Amino acid sequence: MAGVAQQNKSSITLKGSAEIVSDYLNFGINSILFQRGLYPPETFQSVENYGLTILMSTDNKIKEFLASSLSQLKDWLIQRCVTKVALIITNVKTLEVLERWDFHVEYEGNPDESGGQVSEKPLKTIKNEIRDVLKQIASSVAYLPLLDCLCSFDIQIYTKSNVILPQQWSEAEAAHVKNAQSVKMRSFSTNIHKMETARDGKAEELPSSFSSRDHD
Amino acid sequence: MVTNLKSTVDVELNNFSFGSTLKRSLSSASIESQSSFEEPSTAKKFKKEKKLDLSYVGSPREVRRLRTDLLEGRNTILNLENRIQHMHNVRKEMEIMYENESKLLKKQHENDKKSIEELESQLQSLRRREMDLKDQLAQINSKCSMLKVRKDEEIEELEKSLSEMKEESRLYDGEENAEIITLNRKLAELQIMLDAAEEDAEAQKKLVHEFEKRLAEKNVMERDLEKKDQALQVAVLRIRDLEYAKENYLEFQDQAKTQARKLANYIDLEKEVEKLKEENTRLKDEVKNKLILEEEVHDLKSRQVNYKEQEKKLAHLQAQQVQTELHLDEWRSVARGICETTGSDSSLPHLLRSAVERLQQQEISLTSAKVELDSQLTAAQYEVKVARAELEKTQKLLSEMKKTGEQKQNLFHRMQKKLLLVSRERDSYRLQLDSYEKDLTVTLNPNNININQLQTQRERIEALEKIVDNYRELNSKLESDLQSSNPALYSDTSACKVEQVTKLQDEVDQLKLENDMLRQRRDQLEIQLEDFLVGNDTLQGGQVYHLTKNPLSECLAQREQMVEKLEQEAEKLRRKIKSLEEGLESSKLSESSLCPQEVGAAAGPINDMNIILPEPVLHNMCRMDRTIILLK
Repeated sequence: MAGVAQQNKSSITLKGSAEIVSDYLNFGINSILFQRGLYPPETFQSVENYGLTILMSTDNKIKEFLASSLSQLKDWLIQRCVTKVALIITNVKTLEVLERWDFHVEYEGNPDESGGQVSEKPLKTIKNEIRDVLKQIASSVAYLPLLDCLCSFDIQIYTKSNVILPQQWSEAEAAHVKNAQSVKMRSFSTNIHKMETARDGKAEELPSSFSSRDHD
Repeated sequence: MVTNLKSTVDVELNNFSFGSTLKRSLSSASIESQSSFEEPSTAKKFKKEKKLDLSYVGSPREVRRLRTDLLEGRNTILNLENRIQHMHNVRKEMEIMYENESKLLKKQHENDKKSIEELESQLQSLRRREMDLKDQLAQINSKCSMLKVRKDEEIEELEKSLSEMKEESRLYDGEENAEIITLNRKLAELQIMLDAAEEDAEAQKKLVHEFEKRLAEKNVMERDLEKKDQALQVAVLRIRDLEYAKENYLEFQDQAKTQARKLANYIDLEKEVEKLKEENTRLKDEVKNKLILEEEVHDLKSRQVNYKEQEKKLAHLQAQQVQTELHLDEWRSVARGICETTGSDSSLPHLLRSAVERLQQQEISLTSAKVELDSQLTAAQYEVKVARAELEKTQKLLSEMKKTGEQKQNLFHRMQKKLLLVSRERDSYRLQLDSYEKDLTVTLNPNNININQLQTQRERIEALEKIVDNYRELNSKLESDLQSSNPALYSDTSACKVEQVTKLQDEVDQLKLENDMLRQRRDQLEIQLEDFLVGNDTLQGGQVYHLTKNPLSECLAQREQMVEKLEQEAEKLRRKIKSLEEGLESSKLSESSLCPQEVGAAAGPINDMNIILPEPVLHNMCRMDRTIILLK
C-alpha cells in the first residue's frame, strides 16, 4: 500500500484508487485460490493486511501472472474501460466452468474534474470495507462444495470495445457457469471505483438452506 | 529373449527419468535385487526346471500345461517379490524408527549435557554472587556502626537543647503570674462599675413606667377633644341650614307683594282683551272675502282656456265635414253607377243593398258547386288506387304460376332422369343376371373350371366393380337432385352451418394468430433472458480479454503432453507384450522367465510413477493394465 498516491491529508487520486482496487484483487484472488484448494496449501504464505492474515501464493508462476494481469488492469481502470474482472475456475479434464468469481467495477464521480479526480474518502474506512469483503470471501468456503477434480484458473477482464490490446493478451470467450446461481458479497468503494464481488456456482451444488437464503 | 526384455526395461527407465523418482526407484531396485539374492530358493529351482525342459519336446497339451505352470510360477515369483519388498519396507521402517529413536536419545543426551553445563555455570555465578554479597554485608556493618556513633552524638545535643527549652519555659511561667494579678484587679473594678450601672438602669426603668402612665392619660384627653370637635362641626352645619331657610322666607314675602299688585290691575286688562278680540274677528272676515274673490278669478281663467281649445276643435271639425261631404258625393256617384239609376239620392241606399244581396247569393251558389266537384275528384282517386292494388295481385299470381311451371318442368326432367337411371339399373341387373347365368353354365361344365374359372372370376369382379361405381354415381346424383329439388330446405340449414363454420374458422384464425404472437413473444423473452444471463449482462458490446499465458492454458498444455507421453508409453508396452508373446511362441518357453532383478528394476519406477502421477493419469494406467490383461 506504499504506492498509494496521496495528494492531501486524506484524498485519493485516480491512480491511488486503481492501486487500491488492484491490491484488493491480488489479495482476494490469492485468498480464493487458497480457500478453494486449487494449489497445495504448502505453497501459500500468510501475510498481514487489512487487519487480517491472508494467505498469498509463493508460486512464482502465479505471482508473475497476477502481477502482469493486475498491472494491465490498473492501466485500464485509470482509462475507465473495465466493466468486470472475472476469476474462472475450470475443470481441466472436462473443460467445464465450475465457478466464476465476478468483480464488477463501477465508476463514480466526475472524470473531467479539474486537477484530476480526487476522492475525500478516508483510507481507513475503505480498508475496513475491503476487510469485510475479504472476510466474507473466506467465510463463504464453509458452504461452497469441494472441488474434487483437477482444476485451474484464469482471469478474464471484461472491457468496453475501444481498448488497445497489448502483446501477450488475447480475446477470450466469456465463460459461463451452466445453470448458475449467483451469491453476492459485500461491496466497497473508493468514491472513484466501486467494486462489487459475486460468486457464480452450479445451482444444485448449494444446500437448500443457502439457496433459499440467496433468494431472500 | 531375456536380453530383449532387459533392453526394453532400460528404455523404460530412460523414459521415466524424473530426477528424484528415478533415484528412488533405482535404490529400491537394488535393495530388491539384494533380497532376491538372499532368497534364491524358488527362482533357482524354477530355472533348473526350465533347463530340464529344454531337452523335452512334448505334445502341445503338455506345452499348454507348461505355459500355465510358467504363468503360475511367475505369479508366485511376483507374490514372493511383493512379500520380500513388503518385508524390506517393514525392515526399513523399523530401521528408520530405530534411527529416529537413537537420534532422539542422542538429542536428549546432548540436551542433558547442555543442561548440566548450564547448571554448573549457574552454580559458579551463584558462588560469585555470594562472595559479593558477603563483602557488601561487611561494608554495610561498618557503615551501620559509624551511623550509630553519629546518632548518639546527635541525641546528646538534642537532650541539651531540651533542658534549655525547659528552663526557658519556667522563666516564661513567672512573668505570666504577675500579669494575672493585675488583670484580676481590673476585673474587680469593672465588676463594681457594672453594679453601679445596673442601679442606674433600674431608676431609668421606673421613670419610663411613669412616663408611660402619663402618655396614656394624654391619649384619653386627646380622644375627648376630638369628640368635642366633631359635635362643634355638626352644630355649625345646622346653623348654616337655618340661615338658608331664613333667606328663602324673605324672598317669598317679596314675591307675594308683587302678585298682590298684579291682582289690582286685572279688570283693566280684561277690558283690553275684549277690544282686541273684536278687532281680531273683523280682520278674519276681511281675510275670508279676499279668498272668495281669488277663487272666482281662477275659475274664469280656466274657462277661458277651455273656450280656446273648443274653438280649435270646431275649426278642425268644419274641415272634416267638408271632406266627408266630398266623400259622400263620390259614394253617391259610385252607387248611381252600380244601380244605373239617375233617381233621387234617397232611393240609392236601398238599391245598393239589394244589389249587394244579389251578389252574395251568387257567391253562395258558386261555392256549393265547387264543393261538389271536390268530392267527385276524391272518389275518382280512390278508385284508381284500388285498381292498382288489383293489378299487383294479378302480377304476383302470374309470377307464382310461372315458378310452379318451372318446378313442374324440373320435376319432369328429374323423372326422366330417374327413368334413365332405373333403366340403367335394370340393365345392370340384367348384366348381373347374365353373369350369374354364365357362372351357372361354367359350373355346369366341370372341364372348363380350371381354365376359365379365374378369368370368369376376374370378369365378375370387374363387372361388380362397375356396378358398385354405378351405384356410387347414382347415389351422388340422387343426393345432388335432392339438394337441387329442395334448395330451401338445405339452404336454411346450410346457411346456419356456414355461419357456424365461418365463426369457428374466424375463431380458429384468431387463436392461430394469438398462438403465433405468443410464440414470437416467448422467443423474444428467451432472447432477452439469454441476454440477461449472469455474465452476459456486463458484456454489453464490450470484449473479454485474458493473458494468453495463463495457468489454465499451461495446465491444459501439460496435461496434453502427459497424455501423449502416456499414450506412447502404452503403445510401447503393447508392442512389448506382442513381441513377448511372439517370442514365447517361437522359443517355446525357452528363457522366457524374467530375472527377478529385472522385474524389480522395472516395477520400482512404475510404482514411483504411480505415486507421482495425478488421478487422471492413474486412471489411464489402470485402463492400460486392463488392456494388457485382455491381450494376455
